Amino acid sequence: MTRALINTPKQAQQGEVIEIRAMIAHVMETGHRRDAQGAAVPRNIIHRFQCLYDDVEIFAADFYPAMAANPFIAFSTVATTSGVLTFAWTDDQGTIQRATAEITVV
Amino acid sequence: MPSRSGTRRKASRRAILKSALAGIATLAAPPVLGQAKAHVIVIGGGFAGATCARRLKAADGTIAVTLVEPNARFTACPFSNAVIAGLRPIEAQYFGYDGVKQAGVDIAGQIVVAIEAEARQVHFADGARLDYQRLVLAPGIDIRFDALPGYDQTAAEIMPHAWKAGAQTLLLRRQLEAMADGGVVVLSAPANPFRCPPGPYERASLIAYYLKTKKPRSKLILLDAKDTFSKQRLFEAAWKTLYPGLIEWVPLSGGGRVIEIDAKTRTLVTEFGSHLADVANVIPPQRAGAVAIAAGVADQTGWCPIDPHTFESKLVPNIHVIGDAAIAGAMPKSAFAANAQAKVCADMIASLIRGEDPREVKLINTCYSLVAPDYGISVAGVYAPRDGLLTEIKEAGGVSPLEAPAAQREAEATYAQAWFQTITREVFG
Amino acid sequence: MTRPWSYRGISHGMIVVALLAVPIQAAAQPSSAAACSGCHAPVNDGPVPGLIGRPAGEIVTAMAAFRAGERTATVMDRIAKGYSDEEINAIAQWYAAQGQPAGNP
Repeated sequence: MTRALINTPKQAQQGEVIEIRAMIAHVMETGHRRDAQGAAVPRNIIHRFQCLYDDVEIFAADFYPAMAANPFIAFSTVATTSGVLTFAWTDDQGTIQRATAEITVV
Repeated sequence: MPSRSGTRRKASRRAILKSALAGIATLAAPPVLGQAKAHVIVIGGGFAGATCARRLKAADGTIAVTLVEPNARFTACPFSNAVIAGLRPIEAQYFGYDGVKQAGVDIAGQIVVAIEAEARQVHFADGARLDYQRLVLAPGIDIRFDALPGYDQTAAEIMPHAWKAGAQTLLLRRQLEAMADGGVVVLSAPANPFRCPPGPYERASLIAYYLKTKKPRSKLILLDAKDTFSKQRLFEAAWKTLYPGLIEWVPLSGGGRVIEIDAKTRTLVTEFGSHLADVANVIPPQRAGAVAIAAGVADQTGWCPIDPHTFESKLVPNIHVIGDAAIAGAMPKSAFAANAQAKVCADMIASLIRGEDPREVKLINTCYSLVAPDYGISVAGVYAPRDGLLTEIKEAGGVSPLEAPAAQREAEATYAQAWFQTITREVFG
Repeated sequence: MTRPWSYRGISHGMIVVALLAVPIQAAAQPSSAAACSGCHAPVNDGPVPGLIGRPAGEIVTAMAAFRAGERTATVMDRIAKGYSDEEINAIAQWYAAQGQPAGNP
C-alpha cells in the first residue's frame, strides 16, 4: 500500500468554504520511457481521483501522463453537515487507494 | 547579518542622479600611461568575486581591477555546519582581503546603489561613481523573505536560516546549546535551486552528531520540499549506521513542504500538518543577490542567465555573473564551482579585452560533505559549454561509492579539510 | 596526517615519453586547468599532492590510471574521465613548466 496524505479541517461552520488537500505517493509512470535494456516501461498512472462527502461525489479528476509523480490536489467545498470525506485514487493496475477524514459541522 | 551583495535596493535613481549632479567627485582613476587602461569592477568579495579579481590581475597585470565589498571580513559558508555542531570555531571561517589587495586589486569598501549598464558605471552610496569596461557580479544569494508566509527578518532571529554564514550561524549554534536533552530540532529544506544542494543534509548530519554525543534523547526532523536530494543514498545509508532513529526525513511526497511559519510558537506548517520545534532552522527559498536584481541581469526565476563560455549576462552586455547568482546549467551553487567559474570568467575577460576569441574550457566541481567529523562523502562533476548551457560531461563525475571502507570515508573527511584550506588560501591568502 | 596517494608513490618508472612530444612553453595556464588548484595547492604540504613542477609524464600517467580505474582514488577517478588526452597533456605541460613546488625538497 502506498502512502496517501489528506488535510481537511476537523471542524467547520455550516456553510463555510473549506480547503481540502490530498497527496499520494505514486510513480505516475508515463508509458513513454524505456528501461536500461530498451524495453518500454508500461504506463502506470493514477487516472482517477475522487472525493465523496457522505457518499456524494463532490470532486473528481481524471489524470493524464503529463502529471508528475506524487500528485497533489487541493480544492474547496462547502461544509454542509457533519460526516465523512472519502478519497479514492485509482491507478492503471486497478489498485484503489482510499483514505477518509471526519468533519464536524457546527 | 553581513550582506555579500552590498546593495541597498531602496535607493532611487533620482537620488543618485541628484548627488551626481551636485558634483560629488568620482573615485580617482589610477594613473594612466600611454593608452587607456582597461578597468574591470568586481562586485562581491566571496569565493567567486575575490577569485575573479585576483585572477584578472594574474591574467593581465595591465588591467585595473576594483573589488567592491562593503564588509572588511568574509565569513565562509563551507564548514559553517561544523561551527553549528560545535566542532569548529567561527573564527576559522573568517577571511580578510589583505591578500587580495597585495595581489594588486583595489578594494572599494563601498555599498553599490545602482548600476548604469549603458554608461558602464557603478554608483555608490556615498555618491561616488566608477566606470568600467567590464563588470563582474558575484553577489551570492539573498534569502527570499517574501516567499514563505510568516518568515521575515524578524522571524529569522527566532528561527535562523543560517544560510549566510556569520551571526545566523552563531545564533543557531547558541540555540542548539541552550536546548534541553530530549528536544526536537526541525530543519526545513527548500525546492531547487538553492545554494549548496547537499548543505541541508550535511547540516542535519552534523547536528545529529552533536545531539547523539551531547543530547542523545533529542530528535531531528528534516522537512523537505523535494523528493530527492544530492548524495541522497550516501546520506541515508550513513544516517542509518551513525544516527539510527535520530533523523526523520520527510520528503515532499510525505508532506514535507513547509508553506507557512509561525515564529511566535516556533511552528513550521506543512501542507498536511504542523511541527512544533524546540530549535528550528528554516532554510528558505533564495534568489540572486540584490545587486544582480538591481542591475537587471536576473530573470523571472530570480537567477541570472549567462553565456556558458564567458559568463557574460544574456540580458545585459558587458556584465558577467559568476557563482551562486548565475544559472550555470548543471553546475551546482557551491564554493568550488564559484571559484572555478571565477577563474574561467577572468581568463575570458582578459581575452575579450585583448580582442582575442574566448578559448574552450572545462570546469570542475567537487563538493565534500561531512556526515560525521571523520566521515566524508563527495560529489564531483566535469562541465563544458554545450548548446548554450554548462552541461555535465556524461562519462565523468558522480558520487562516492555506496560501499566503501571506513578508511575512504575518513580520507574524504581529511580531503574536505584540505580542500577548504587550499581554496581559502588561493582566494584570500 | 596520512598521505594515502602520495607524490612519491607514483613517481618511478612511469614516464610516458610518447605523450611529451609537445614542447614546453611559457604559456598562460590552460583554462581547463583552472579548477585543479581548487584542491591541489601550490604548497605541497597537505594530503592532496601539489602539481606545480611535477614532471608532465607523471601527471599524464596518473590521469590515465585514474581514468581507467586502475588507481585508488576518491574523486580523481570521477574527474579524470572528463578530460581528453590533449587536455590532460596541456595541463601536465603547464604544471611541469612551473618550476619546483614550494615545500618540496
